Amino acid sequence: MSDILLPSLVDGLLLGFVYGIAAMGLSLIWGVMDVINLSHGPIIALGMFGIYLIFTNTGLNPYLALFVVALAGLLLGMIIYGVAVHRVIDAPHLSTLLATFSVNMIIIGIGTALLTTTPRNIDFTLGSLSVGPITVPWTRVAAAFATMLVTGLLYLFLYVSRPGKYIRAVANNRVAAELMGIPSARILALSFGLGTMLAAIAGGLIATFFPFTILSGGSYELKSFVICVLGGLGNPLGALFGGLILGGLEGLTPAFMPTTWVPVLEFGLFVLILLVRPSGLLGSKS
Amino acid sequence: MMALLEIQDLESGYGEVQILWGVNLSLEKGRLTSLVGGNGVGKTTLLRTITGTIKPWRGSVRFNGQEIGHLPAYRKPDLGVVLVPEGRQLFTDMSVRENLEMGATNSRARAHAAQNLERVFGLFPRLKERESQRAGTLSGGEQQMLAVARGLMAEPEVLMFDELYLGLAPVLVLNLFETLQQLKREGLTMLLVEQNVHMALSVSDYAYVMAEGRITLEGPAAEVAQQDEVKKAYLGI
Repeated sequence: MSDILLPSLVDGLLLGFVYGIAAMGLSLIWGVMDVINLSHGPIIALGMFGIYLIFTNTGLNPYLALFVVALAGLLLGMIIYGVAVHRVIDAPHLSTLLATFSVNMIIIGIGTALLTTTPRNIDFTLGSLSVGPITVPWTRVAAAFATMLVTGLLYLFLYVSRPGKYIRAVANNRVAAELMGIPSARILALSFGLGTMLAAIAGGLIATFFPFTILSGGSYELKSFVICVLGGLGNPLGALFGGLILGGLEGLTPAFMPTTWVPVLEFGLFVLILLVRPSGLLGSKS
Repeated sequence: MMALLEIQDLESGYGEVQILWGVNLSLEKGRLTSLVGGNGVGKTTLLRTITGTIKPWRGSVRFNGQEIGHLPAYRKPDLGVVLVPEGRQLFTDMSVRENLEMGATNSRARAHAAQNLERVFGLFPRLKERESQRAGTLSGGEQQMLAVARGLMAEPEVLMFDELYLGLAPVLVLNLFETLQQLKREGLTMLLVEQNVHMALSVSDYAYVMAEGRITLEGPAAEVAQQDEVKKAYLGI
């Protein structure tokens, strides 16, 4: 039994890192401005296509292309914030939900028209890593490392750099931040951009090992919600841990029951945690 | 004497509700001015309009002769117009040190941030001891010190305090009173907005009394304190 369990667990955990980085983007935006970004999924999908289009057209190494995708994700998010979110930022949550849902529909609509919904695949491999009974594709290992690196850089940015501290100040008390001379609108746009950047990076990493369509982001968006509840919304590091828990769960479940039960289990867990600990397993922010 | 901050016929409010009905007030350079009045007469609304958190409807706010009423809140500290808001409004999840750094956001203050940090640690040694502590974990008095220190980090030309003394123990009130005196000696222009009329009038040079969105009385603080209406309404004499 253990010779099945251990490889499945490792497989799931590695995937969990990528879930974690996707959820981190959702969590960051919520933490800073109390907005649930419903365009999160399509932006993950755009990250997938970004890597795909760069790789198939120029042959650039996907991990280098990731830098381009990250930057594009940052800019796209800032534009989305300026166009769709800023005007309703102080309105009730329903308005920001509808605004980001509209962006979601627009991206999916344009994406379907231009890119169709035929599954794509990046023809790229790094071979496999074998340790004892465990064999995993290097691309998954690389994705886990990339996630840890990005998480580290994000924390460094938030806690050491001046703009990062402004983000934390605005998240903490927007009115006070303005009174201290911090241009909150620009900082909110930057935060939204960072959130979508993380989504795009997650998409780019996923594209190195799974086939995808413009609709593929949806399932990662849903997982991000579960993860945010596990890790506590607004807590980026919690999102990473939440991702690992969910990934591990997904890896182990198929050993005991059909794979089709995985979402049932995940969302059962989601509801259970909401009932028992609404602030998240690791979270503190209510 | 010249007015550093001059407010003329200022009207503002929230949505359809008008709160200020033509306020005139001027802050002379180097003077400690107080604005007193009961709860809900528009004192905080006046401060919000000066700082730009809400927009003026009519009238003018001039700083050094320049109209600043239309500027957004985040541009005011750049000019030197700084508010220590009611309820402190600290960045509770950030450290004491980081709160002070955020105070020095504007470009003028950023250039002297290291000196100003020494200065505020000199004024409030307790904050230096608590430098890396999260601001939300400080006691009420320490939080108020941090709010004042954060305001000073912005290198204000005019420093305004909204209900500085609210909810503080008497010993802390005395400490802050001494701090204000020292800042006054250093030539800082200040506006003290207070419900605690007795305290405010005893420390300031000049005073305005506000009621129902208008200034109803003004003059040297000692004279204002002698007015019958002030005695009856606020001092309970």
